[in-house]
Amino acid sequence: MHLRLEEPDQTELNMTPMIDIVFQLIIFFLLSLKFKTIDERIESMLPKNMGTDIRPSPAPVEDKITLRVFRRNVERSEHAYTFVKLDGALQFRLPMGWQGRAGESPARVREYDATLAAITTALRERVAIYGGPASGVKGEIVAPPPQGGSVPHGDVVALLDSFLAVGMTDVRFEGAAAPR
Amino acid sequence: MAATDVIPPSEDAKLNMTPMIDITFLLVVFFMLTIDLSTKEYIPVELPYATEGVEDKEDPNTIVPRFIVNLTREGKIIFRGQEFDLASADPGIQDDNIQALKTALRQVHNEGGGTALLREPDGASKVPVMIHADWGAKWKYVQWIMQACADPQIKIYKLHFAVKKPPTEDGN
Repeated sequence: MHLRLEEPDQTELNMTPMIDIVFQLIIFFLLSLKFKTIDERIESMLPKNMGTDIRPSPAPVEDKITLRVFRRNVERSEHAYTFVKLDGALQFRLPMGWQGRAGESPARVREYDATLAAITTALRERVAIYGGPASGVKGEIVAPPPQGGSVPHGDVVALLDSFLAVGMTDVRFEGAAAPR
Repeated sequence: MAATDVIPPSEDAKLNMTPMIDITFLLVVFFMLTIDLSTKEYIPVELPYATEGVEDKEDPNTIVPRFIVNLTREGKIIFRGQEFDLASADPGIQDDNIQALKTALRQVHNEGGGTALLREPDGASKVPVMIHADWGAKWKYVQWIMQACADPQIKIYKLHFAVKKPPTEDGN
């Protein structure tokens, strides 16, 4: 027997729900899109055997260059400044009432940068006395409590940056222990 | 020619949706490829500047996650949505918050039972901590975070300081 099937009516796909979902996806991605803000980092490694020791370890006999940082006039932020001593001899003063690079005039930024450049130059000269960074000379940033703890993080990072700029990567921190 | 020509009614006009759907799918693919949900962990702070920083690029060959510890200028730590205030004048409250941070670090480290994979044979953690701190935060708070990381029950020794490259003279 010869059967002839009827041709079905032309069916159309309803695209509307799919387009709805796709638009919802686009809105989600648009709202959650946030460009990365961090570009750079300084890598460091805490000492495994003395990371939580609250007593300063007895000073080993070794070549080291020490930057001591202090915060002066902490009670009045507009007069507060960071004071740096290199090996107890050379002294540097970062600009008073520093509000961060974004909040300062170009002249004040230049003053800040010039002070850091002077610290870097002095460090380079000190390292050269020891025979260069390859000699094994170590760096140290000491923030004596209580005022040393109030030094802005940015200033300490800038000093760490100065050590790195002269090729010294072994830098130790000393400062206030956490309350307990 | 007659003055009243009648325009024949057009056939049912249909909008061709295909190009629009093509473009829409391309947009979805673009956003899916470029989205970086990890940045949600960063809170807005003004980072310190450093010329010697290295490019912040995660190792594509590692499965080890990275913890991001935010520190605001006022002394508030924000880690995985939890806040720990270090700026209190009461050392007891400061200690409570440091202990709470240690607990949070330990819990997050042990999440999923993958602890063995994240530790070196000597017990030191392979997980790095990114300290994403405002330039104006007090240095002692950063030191306390470092001490919390080095706690004998946490043993995180790899630290990264988030920094920014200073702008050059031409503003770039």
